[in-house]
Parts: sequence; C-alpha cells; structure tokens
Amino acid sequence: MVQTDNLTFQYTKKEHAFNFPNITLGEQENLLILGKSGVGKTTFLHLLAGLLHPNNGSVIIDEVPINGMSHSKLDKFRGQNIGLVFQKNHAVKSLNVLDNLKARLFFSKKSIDYAAIDTLLEQLDLKETKKSKVNELSEGQLQRLGIAMAVVHKPKVILADEPTSNLDDENCSTVLQLLQQQAEENKANLVVITHDTRIKSGFKNIITL
Amino acid sequence: MNNWKISLKNFLHKPLYAFLSIFSLSISIGLLLGIQQLDTSIQNQFENGLGKVEMVVGAKGSPLQLVLSSVLHIDNPTGNIAFSEVEKMAKNPLVKSAVPISYGDNYKGYRIVGSTLDFDKLYDAEILEGRAVETSMETVIGNDVAQQLGMNVGDTFLSSHGLTENSIEEHNQSFTVVGIYKPAYKVIDRLIVTTLESIWDVHNHEDENHEEHKPLEDEEHEDEEHEHKDDSDHAHKEEEHVQDHNHDEEHEHDEEHDLVHVDDRKVTSILVSFRNPMGLMTMPRTINANSNMQAALPKYELERLFRFTGVGVKAISWIAYIILLISCITIFIGFYKMVRERAFDLALMRTYGASNFQLFRIVAIEGILVLLISLFFGFVFSKIGLHFIVNIFKSQFQQDIILTFSAHQTVQTIFIVMFIAMVSILLAILPLFKMNISNIISNEK
Repeated sequence: MVQTDNLTFQYTKKEHAFNFPNITLGEQENLLILGKSGVGKTTFLHLLAGLLHPNNGSVIIDEVPINGMSHSKLDKFRGQNIGLVFQKNHAVKSLNVLDNLKARLFFSKKSIDYAAIDTLLEQLDLKETKKSKVNELSEGQLQRLGIAMAVVHKPKVILADEPTSNLDDENCSTVLQLLQQQAEENKANLVVITHDTRIKSGFKNIITL
Repeated sequence: MNNWKISLKNFLHKPLYAFLSIFSLSISIGLLLGIQQLDTSIQNQFENGLGKVEMVVGAKGSPLQLVLSSVLHIDNPTGNIAFSEVEKMAKNPLVKSAVPISYGDNYKGYRIVGSTLDFDKLYDAEILEGRAVETSMETVIGNDVAQQLGMNVGDTFLSSHGLTENSIEEHNQSFTVVGIYKPAYKVIDRLIVTTLESIWDVHNHEDENHEEHKPLEDEEHEDEEHEHKDDSDHAHKEEEHVQDHNHDEEHEHDEEHDLVHVDDRKVTSILVSFRNPMGLMTMPRTINANSNMQAALPKYELERLFRFTGVGVKAISWIAYIILLISCITIFIGFYKMVRERAFDLALMRTYGASNFQLFRIVAIEGILVLLISLFFGFVFSKIGLHFIVNIFKSQFQQDIILTFSAHQTVQTIFIVMFIAMVSILLAILPLFKMNISNIISNEK
C-alpha cells in the first residue's frame, strides 16, 4: 500500500517547486513512472522512501504516514519496509556478496535465514558469487545483487531508480522480470522510475512526469 | 553480523592505509613510552644506587664530580684527603657512620675500592658465596663483576693503574677473590671491594720500587751540594752557631716527620650517613667553610644533574609528541577522506535502516581498532627499543639498567594518546551527521 497526497518539494527557496501527482497503489499493484531527466523523478522516489522531507503533502506506506516520524524511527521504518534499487552502486564495497546481505538484515534488525538467502541467490543467479567481492562482479551481476539487497529483508515496497538504464536489452528484461517476480513473492508494491522506455510494456500502471 | 564485524571488514578493505596509520601512530607511542620508562629507570637507578650515603666528603673541586666519582663510580676522583679526617668525622655525634674509601685502580674496567667492613652495609649488600675480606689483598666482588668476567671465589688477578681498562700499567701484586656479593641492584654490583690496606700496600710497594731508582738522582744532588759547599765555605762558618741553636728544633722536626709518616695514609673520600637530619643541615656548610675538604650531598647533586639531562629527555618527549600529533593528523585526514570516499556506502547503510549513530559507531570502532593495535605495537616497540638500549649500556658502559615500570606514568601517557587520537577521529567523522543521503545517492550517476 503506497499513497501520496499533494506532494510538493523545493530544494532551495530560489528554485521552483516540484509538484507531484497523487498516487494510490493497492495491494501488489505496480507502477512505472516515466520522465525525462530533470523533472524530479529521483526526488519523487526519495520522497517515497523518506530520504527527503516534503514541503507539503504526505506519503503513506502500509497505512503509516512516514513524514511525521522522527529521524531514527524513519531510519528503522525504511530499513524494515522499503527496498531500494539504484542505477549504480548496489552494495557496500568492503563486504562480499553474502556479507552484504547479512549486513542488510542486520541493519533492518531482521534475523538471518541462510536457506532463504540461498534461495534468493539462486533465483537471481548469484550463487557462485556468494563469496565474491562487490568490485569483482559484472554489471549484470551487480544489478541483480542490487535487487537481492532490496528484497532480502522482505519489504512492503520496492522502489527502483533507473534499474535498467545501464543494461543491455537482454539483461534489461531479465532484471525487470526478476523485480516483478520478487515483488510478487514478497507481496510488495513495486515502483520503478525511469526514462528507459524499453520496459514500458511490462507495466499496467504508468504515469509520466 | 554486527557493528564490529562490519568495522573490521571496512578496516581490512584498505590494508595499506590501515598499515600506515598503525605504523606512524605506534612509532610515536613507542617513542613516548620508551623514553619515559628509560628516564624513570635511570633516575630510579641513580637514586637507588646511592644506598645510604647522605653526604660525601672529599678533596675540594666540583661537588658533582665528587658524587659521580665516589658514590656512583662513573667519574675520576677530585683528589685525596688525609685518613685522619675519617676518625674526626666518625666522632661527630651527628654522624651515624663515616666510611672511608680509596680507589684509583681497576681490573678490566671494574673499579677496585678499598674501604672498611662498613662499606657493604651502606648498600645492604650480602655475601652470596665465600666470606668477607679479612686481610690485605683479599677482595669481595660485586655480582655484575662476577657474572661479566666469569670470576669465582679463589681466582686471583692483577690490578691496573687508573680507572679505565689498560694492560700497560699493571701492578705486580695479585688480589684474591674471597667472596661474591648477592645482587644489590646498586653501584656495589659493579665494584671490587677490598681493604684500605690493600690499596695502600699496592701503592707503597710501587713507591718503594720508584725509590730504587732514586739513589742515582740523590748522588747527583750530593755532587751539586759538594760544589755548593766549596763555593760557600765562609758562609757555613757564619752559620755554625746558628745551627747549634737550631739543633733542638731539628730534633723536634724529626719527631714530627715520624708522625706525618703515620698520617701519610690518604683516602679518596668519606661516605657519611647521619644519625639525624640536623647533620644534613649543618655539616656540609661547616666542612665547606672551615676545612680544605668539600662536602657534597648526592641527592642534591643528582637533582642538579637531572635538571640538565632532563632537557634532553624533554626534547625527545616533545619530538615524540610532535610525531604523535602528526600521526593523529594523518589519521584525521585518513578518516575524513574515508568518510567522504565511502559516503555512498554509508548512505546505502542508512537506506538499509542504519541510524546516524550506528554509522558513527561503525566508523568510530574502526578508529578504535587502529588506536588499540597501535597501542599494542607501540608498547612492543618501546620494549624492543629499551631492550637494545639496555644492552648497549651494558656492553659499552658496564651499566646494567634495571627497567622500572611506572604504571601511573604509562597509564597517563596512554590516556593522552587515546584522547588526542579520539579527538582527531571524532572530528573526522562528525561530517557524517550532516550527511544528506538523498543528495549522495542521486549524485551516483
């Protein structure tokens, strides 16, 4: 469940304010947000993740208004309920793949289920890289690791920022499939923002900023 | 998975940086701890080495030299004083003991000190093996001497003239070792103790030897005198009646000459301990003002000496502190850079649910790891360094330094180091609290 209401955001007082459309996602509903660079796609995603604080309006995730929370509560809420996928830099460089997943669970204060981790790594075709360092992975493997990091803690919402922009067509469709599959398995909402029109066909709900 | 494990993995992620931080910090810590321990050890040893000697009386000269030569046995004596002074000194009601010592010879660099049986009581030295000295030419040797030279009871040796090792001016009377002292950890460990008579005997014998050569010179003198007589015959006649007058006086002179012969015995100095502190207050002044001897107070002279050497110790300490400061600045820059370079990783951790404070802890633990490892190695470095220095002292100066460990001082230094290092780490990771995660993450492209 993701809902926004009259969200506006302004980086500095001199810059113009972003006004974002209201969205309402029911259970397991996915959403693709399309837009060119500079229209505030990432800003919108960060507002949804609680990484930015809106000037006006509210974000409600799983019936909890996240804007009223204190910093530490918001950190905790984000860690437990939201999974973020980024375009680059998917995991902590000083840790290997398995340690990254373990650290992810540690930070969101969830117990480590090794069997579940193994299943996840198998689904994402990362089993052989379990002990590899992050900088030893290929671009495709990295993006899949990014997905693993976003779902290992079983979030309610998966937010992906340009997850496919750096990938070739083949990897692009694989990543999209995996994202949708993981969202389904976790009964989570998937929100993808991108300028990559290749993935348009995979979504029923699409809004353009 | 926990904070410590994550910190440790971060720490090991850049081993060269970790090594450099630890290396520079541990060098400065090692230098600080080492120099302090060496300083306290040397001071302690000097003060401890004094034994019960509260005042030393010797020939006029530098009081520091008198203390260094007669009490610590590391310098040349100022001169000799008459043995009769010892008895005068001992009769003073303020004096508990007045021990005469006489020296001037060595065996392989170890000083031979002639004294009375009270000498070892000044240092609470007990005999480990053998017995005390009974007659002339017997010696009891200090523990260091026995160990370094591998000497045993029953061994004999020839002394050489002077206070440094040489084989040219060897005396021809041999000493016998009759006893070995237990280690007293005082100056007596490095001495060869004998009777005053032994020293006198060795040197009187030498004098006799010298006299054997003298007659030639005397004959020449007589010849000169003969010539003199021929030239001044008339003068002699004039003086004849005067000589008659002086006859009695000359006789007295001869008697005095005998007395002088008894008193001819000299000692180098007298080691005095007092019955009560009044002696310490009044006697040095009286001796310095009213006699041709000087009195020096070892404690006071050593304090004066340490004021000079203290400058050196201070300089090295300051250098160590400067190195510490530089290594802390290195650590500061290192951590500051690390927080910036790793900003994305840290921001990622925030999106994983880590709080600001948790990230702070993770980075701080890394700093603490660097600090603790540096402290450990610094400690090890100081021990290794001191070991070498002690060996150098032992082989070059025959001085065995007993390392005294001052827990109070070490803890104090460690706290100062920890404080400075922690402050630099804190300053470096404070920007973490102002971190704008959204900004960092959106700048990834």
